[in-house]
Amino acid sequence: MSNPAELLSFDVATLAENFRRKMLSPVEVTDAYLAQIERLEPKLRCYITVTADLARASAKQAETEIASGNWRGPFHGIPVGLKDLCSTKGIRTTGGSKILADSVPDFDCTVWARLAEAGAVLLGKLNLHEFAAGATNTNQHWGVCRNPYNTDRIPGGSSGGSGAAIVSRMAAATIGTDTGGSIRIPAAFCGCVGMKQTYSRVSRYGVLPLSDSLDHAGPITRSVRDAALMLQVIAGHDPNDATSSHEPVPDYASVCGREVKGMRLGVVRELTVGLSSEVASSFNGALAKLSEIGAEVTEVSIPVIEHIAGISSTITFVEAAEYHQSWLRTRPGDYGIDVRRALEAGMLTPGPLYVRAQRARSVMLAQALTALERCDALVAPTTAIPAPVIDVGARAKLPTGEAVDMVAAILRFTAPFNVTGQPALALPTGLSADGLPLSMQIIGRPFDESGVFQIASAYEAARGPLPEPKAL
Amino acid sequence: MARLTPETVKVLAHQLYDYDLSDDSAVSVAHIVGAMTHYLRRLDALPLGGLQPPFGYATIVAEAQRINRGKK
Repeated sequence: MSNPAELLSFDVATLAENFRRKMLSPVEVTDAYLAQIERLEPKLRCYITVTADLARASAKQAETEIASGNWRGPFHGIPVGLKDLCSTKGIRTTGGSKILADSVPDFDCTVWARLAEAGAVLLGKLNLHEFAAGATNTNQHWGVCRNPYNTDRIPGGSSGGSGAAIVSRMAAATIGTDTGGSIRIPAAFCGCVGMKQTYSRVSRYGVLPLSDSLDHAGPITRSVRDAALMLQVIAGHDPNDATSSHEPVPDYASVCGREVKGMRLGVVRELTVGLSSEVASSFNGALAKLSEIGAEVTEVSIPVIEHIAGISSTITFVEAAEYHQSWLRTRPGDYGIDVRRALEAGMLTPGPLYVRAQRARSVMLAQALTALERCDALVAPTTAIPAPVIDVGARAKLPTGEAVDMVAAILRFTAPFNVTGQPALALPTGLSADGLPLSMQIIGRPFDESGVFQIASAYEAARGPLPEPKAL
Repeated sequence: MARLTPETVKVLAHQLYDYDLSDDSAVSVAHIVGAMTHYLRRLDALPLGGLQPPFGYATIVAEAQRINRGKK
């Protein structure tokens, strides 16, 4: 029997090895996570629903199966959390909304079905920005989720609960979703790893949509290797999602630990302007570290990124408005005002402009692929600033009290890779002078998640461990 | 910036969708839609002519098959 703090310190890879060798029990680890949730949940509001009884029963089943020699793989017995946008059979799935406050699906989304089949233990459903339509996670219906490094700051969103739960040790691994950056932004602000894989690589079946053509569901984890292990479980074609890919799924974790000597990385010029001094300094330090371990760093350009605000917002708002139209008519007062206004704007955006925004996606991907002809991957900061201060709804403030321009400071960096559908992984590059996490993205060719994991894991090893949140 | 007034968006929302926008919402929505329209007009500078929008026929076929699978 280990002490709870030690149990919570293990990443998925370490837990899996200890479970397989019967050195640790999924039951004691699950109990440690549930105790941590009980201790920190009032402060951080990471969860909308905690499924403690189910978790204990699943952990017991995992323990029994492993004891009898039926270890299913790296996620057998691992305590995980799901963003509450993921449908779970018999378990409330709210979308972070008042509208679906009592909604209990009669089916599992494919992501959870695959994790459950792999033996994962569900701790609960995680807090998010209402219907994933915002980047702050200042949720008026289910509580304001807070950043574990500084509880006055936002955790980022929309998968804020998923990011905050990882860093505060309230889950060993979580699932988030990403339409304009909603996996990578909380990973950046909370100081963990967020992987938005190639569009279509992971089934979206059963995940409440924000924008069908930009939505992705993917891992938020403590380490790059954990993200690789989790993507391994959830990736692959699903006949229930017509957009899901038939591309073969390689062994992602096998590339973790490989060197990057001679690999070429392209810094996206358009994403190096407008950075806060501490993000710029940390990003430059990360580039220097990548050079030290043998990567060649060069500069590339994707000029159409200049148009990202129009392209991304139009597609997102219009597709979201179509999905929400019925509730918008019958229950407009049950939306947060920030979300309702975005949906109303989507209703009134002319159709020809939506099609034009969709056409522009090919131009952006063409430019990204041209940049990748000279490089193995692209790199960029994940956001221009560290986590800002909590305000109301979709708004956030700088410590000076000035409102944050959420597009210029945040979405401009992440949304381009939803528009192109490329894999993009966010990982920490250090802490600011105020002790807030800073982050960069590694962006690959379509379906080259392995290349992204290889570069990210090499950098992560060279960077060393990130200091943990002092406040907890 | 496109000239879209709060009054216009109120009328459009009502006549297109039978949806009543509050005065505050109309101001905000007029601003957001105006800004998006402005941004998207700037896309005229891109070579979009002849490019297919990403609505694949394979998806239409797969969805049709899924609908019919559900009937059996």
